[in-house]
Amino acid sequence: MSLTSPPVSPVGTTGPPRAVEAPTAPGAVAHARRRLRTRADAALFATGLVGVAGVVATVWLGLWVTPPDQFMGNLVRLLYIHPPLAWVMFLAYGVSFLASLLYLWPRTRSARFDRLAGAAAEVGVVFTGLTLVTGSLWGRPTWGQWWTWDPLLTTTALLFVLYLGYLALRRVPGEPEARAKRSAIAALIAFIDVPIVYFSVLWWKSLHQAPSIDLTTRKTYVHGSMAWTLLLGFVSFTVVFAWLVAHRYRLAVLEDREEREGLALALAERRAEAAEAP
Amino acid sequence: MSGYIEAGYIVTLGALGVYAASLVGRERSARRRLPAPRPRATSTPVTGAAAVEAPADGGRSAAPADEGRAATPPGPPGQGG
Repeated sequence: MSLTSPPVSPVGTTGPPRAVEAPTAPGAVAHARRRLRTRADAALFATGLVGVAGVVATVWLGLWVTPPDQFMGNLVRLLYIHPPLAWVMFLAYGVSFLASLLYLWPRTRSARFDRLAGAAAEVGVVFTGLTLVTGSLWGRPTWGQWWTWDPLLTTTALLFVLYLGYLALRRVPGEPEARAKRSAIAALIAFIDVPIVYFSVLWWKSLHQAPSIDLTTRKTYVHGSMAWTLLLGFVSFTVVFAWLVAHRYRLAVLEDREEREGLALALAERRAEAAEAP
Repeated sequence: MSGYIEAGYIVTLGALGVYAASLVGRERSARRRLPAPRPRATSTPVTGAAAVEAPADGGRSAAPADEGRAATPPGPPGQGG
């Protein structure tokens, strides 16, 4: 393409033929897209409201309504947020794993899955950090120390570092496809640590207590208002996770577009420079 | 309560709030930086230099900003000769 383009036809476009054949269709498509986006915005806003309401209710029930625990006393109140944060951490990395797998599978390869994997992993890193902090705040009065090299804590810290590395890898410049492919492979490798984290309390001797809700045996070790508050925490933080991932995904779409258009602009400038040269 | 509990709730809610606000803020600023998506074809006739610049690949590689640039000649008169 050069700046000294051939003369234009009277119709006024050198674009694809459909532009001339159906002049009103793009307007309708744009209108439909706008409506869809408005609906998506409304749905996302409603999701955010539900998430915030759920978290507020969890905080209220957890801090003021539920009774103190027989053994842990008031410290049990931290457990209304710590396990839900850990659950979302697992969920986020699970989503990232599945999206990466779908990206690597040739039949389903799409930039959407790459963006989803990145968005879920970033939100997962935030939740992992919070899981570690709330666990440490619970451990100090319970175990007498902020940190111990317990299998669960160590593998969780490793998970945090692995996914930080994954996010750093995503920022390494390169061709979008090559970047997405290597990120997807890294996500699959990092995910190996996820089942290790979950089963570490069962496989090795650990200071950390066993899960309050054991997914393998389907047994629960928490009852009454405590159980309902914990369940509400799980649901609320999951909704918050969905809202965050949706926003991070939308931001990734905009970032991709900015990168693409920035590149196109830079190319046009170079072409203009080349055309100016004698 | 012990202070650890309040700290846990404040750190969690605060960090999530800050992260959520940063996401929304970054999304809004990115939208402001980017022009509205260009329709694939216009219902009004394209005139002027924008039409001249219409790329041969159907517009896939061009940015909207390219069109604005194409409206100006490659260089001021008398240059590049």
